[in-house]
Amino acid sequence: MAGIDYAHGAAAIVRDAGGHIVGRTKFQKIAFFLEAAGVGSGFPFRYKHYGPYSELLAAAAQHAAALRLIVENESVAAWGGQYSTFYTQMPADPSMHPARARLAQEMANADAVELELAATAAFLAYERFPDPWAETARRKPEKAEGGRLERAKQLYLRLQQIPAPHQLPAI
Amino acid sequence: MPKQQRIRDPLHDLIQFDVERSQLEGVLWRVLQTRPFQRLRRIKQLGFSDFVYPGATHSRLLHSVGVFHTARRLMRVIEKYLPAKDARVDQALAAALVHDLGHGPFSHAFEKIGERFDLKMANHEAVSDMLIRNGEVSDVLRDMGSGFANDVADMVSGSGTPTIYSAVVSSQFDADRLDYMRRDRLMVGSQHAGIDFEWLVENLEVGEVQHGVDETSLKPVQTFVLGRKAIFAAEAYVLGLFQLYPTVYFHKATRGAEKIYTELLTRTITLIKDGSIEKTGLPKTHPLVKFAQTPDNIDCALSLDDTVIWGGLSLMADSNDKWIGSLAERLRDRKLYKCIDVRAKIAHDKDDGAASSSEADEVCAGVRDEIVKCLDEWSAKSPDEPPRILIDEVERSPYKELTEGAKGPLSQINIRTEGNHLADLSKRSNVVAALKTYKAFRLYHADGDEEARRKVMEIVDAGISKWPA
Repeated sequence: MAGIDYAHGAAAIVRDAGGHIVGRTKFQKIAFFLEAAGVGSGFPFRYKHYGPYSELLAAAAQHAAALRLIVENESVAAWGGQYSTFYTQMPADPSMHPARARLAQEMANADAVELELAATAAFLAYERFPDPWAETARRKPEKAEGGRLERAKQLYLRLQQIPAPHQLPAI
Repeated sequence: MPKQQRIRDPLHDLIQFDVERSQLEGVLWRVLQTRPFQRLRRIKQLGFSDFVYPGATHSRLLHSVGVFHTARRLMRVIEKYLPAKDARVDQALAAALVHDLGHGPFSHAFEKIGERFDLKMANHEAVSDMLIRNGEVSDVLRDMGSGFANDVADMVSGSGTPTIYSAVVSSQFDADRLDYMRRDRLMVGSQHAGIDFEWLVENLEVGEVQHGVDETSLKPVQTFVLGRKAIFAAEAYVLGLFQLYPTVYFHKATRGAEKIYTELLTRTITLIKDGSIEKTGLPKTHPLVKFAQTPDNIDCALSLDDTVIWGGLSLMADSNDKWIGSLAERLRDRKLYKCIDVRAKIAHDKDDGAASSSEADEVCAGVRDEIVKCLDEWSAKSPDEPPRILIDEVERSPYKELTEGAKGPLSQINIRTEGNHLADLSKRSNVVAALKTYKAFRLYHADGDEEARRKVMEIVDAGISKWPA
């Protein structure tokens, strides 16, 4: 379990995404992009199967749930699996950078797979891959098909256009 | 008779590499001879578990060979359903052999240190990836084709679409788990947690299951499923793995040793990074010193193994830094901190069912925060003293540990029903359905440190007294 500051940090991400986030993958990728944009809560990310992933964030979310800062509900997806939805009623933080809520809410409304593709490409850009989108498509072929990669690029452009302390890499 | 290379294994008995007739097995036999693979001889599979089970000294080298051997068995299952030759067969078999190449000394405990200092070369997945794609192992693998090493690395890292071939490397019935569950049980000397391996393999089938990300559906993928006659074998498999966690992997003494090791190396690396090598007791040429100074250098990571750490303990025990000196001596002589099991105390004070309840989670989270505050205060007063309380929090679900994504058919055990559809094991087994996540929350203090013990008990008692309504 992570420390109490991180638990508050995890809950604040849910708050700034509009009070709820559908899915663990989306939660992770929102947190990743907030860090990349310089408006994050200090979570470190590494590459895992689903792209950039923070074990500390996963632990912090559990800690936040234990402290009732967030509520995690599980639902059954159409494909037969279960996914989580995170809720919080944490009060707003007036000192929050305006980019944070804009970014988080844009991502909260995005498709989970497209957001995963965009986050993966951004992570690979930081890892200095010469063509992060091509590498993303190579690593996640079944997710990149059906026009998702193109839509992920459009999502990325929308995120890039939100003024933030750190500019997302041009890819 | 064609030449065979042979290894005797306490678990599988004879493991043979057909180096003349099989190009792959000839190549993999040469991978065994490389420095990165030989290094696995000096990394124990179970880290500090031999503090509890003295027989558990088996190496990651033999486990890796066992995983390859098991993967060959699983491939025979796949061949019954998909007889056409597929390039991914060889990739998956090679991946099974090299999947553990990147582990550092005391594996998972070392990764925790890497997370504290953001050391990429302490992350076994990153190191495995580098060792497979570049260097000696990669050079040997390239004899199978120019892109083979990269394909193997992708298979190990789990990149790409999940397929039945990647299921051999990573799934509920992957070769890794089918080897370590049986090997670890054998070597610790336990008589519980046995599985009916032959029956499980005999009843494995290839099935197509749905999967997705969060609420989004993706195309169905092939993975291992079990025939209906294996339901009790599957039940024992889940229970066996579940039992190994509290009794072996999360044993309080093993975890206590890991915590001491983590704090010892944290202090050592901090001093080295600060330029105070002389305080560590280690010579400037020690591999741990070189690693801390150049943590991005793969050769420095390759120079580390369990024996390097064990060899350094007596030097560190003589360090004039109290933190390093005392913890190195404790680890060398197995003088571990005393354990207070908070969830066991909750069970005692409330009731047995309360120990893993959400109310207990809330209490443990509060206790943890109070302990951290207390440690911060003590650390501010005496920054050169070792931590007086060590915290261990861990949990394990009955199924494969989930890190991200949704729970679903790909991460569950699926049983083929009489009606020829797939059902989750928990829907068919009341025993499995009743299993709850195993959770442990322990606090450790030095024997003789009565103030720390009292403080722990005070915080724990206060936490339990605020039992949520």
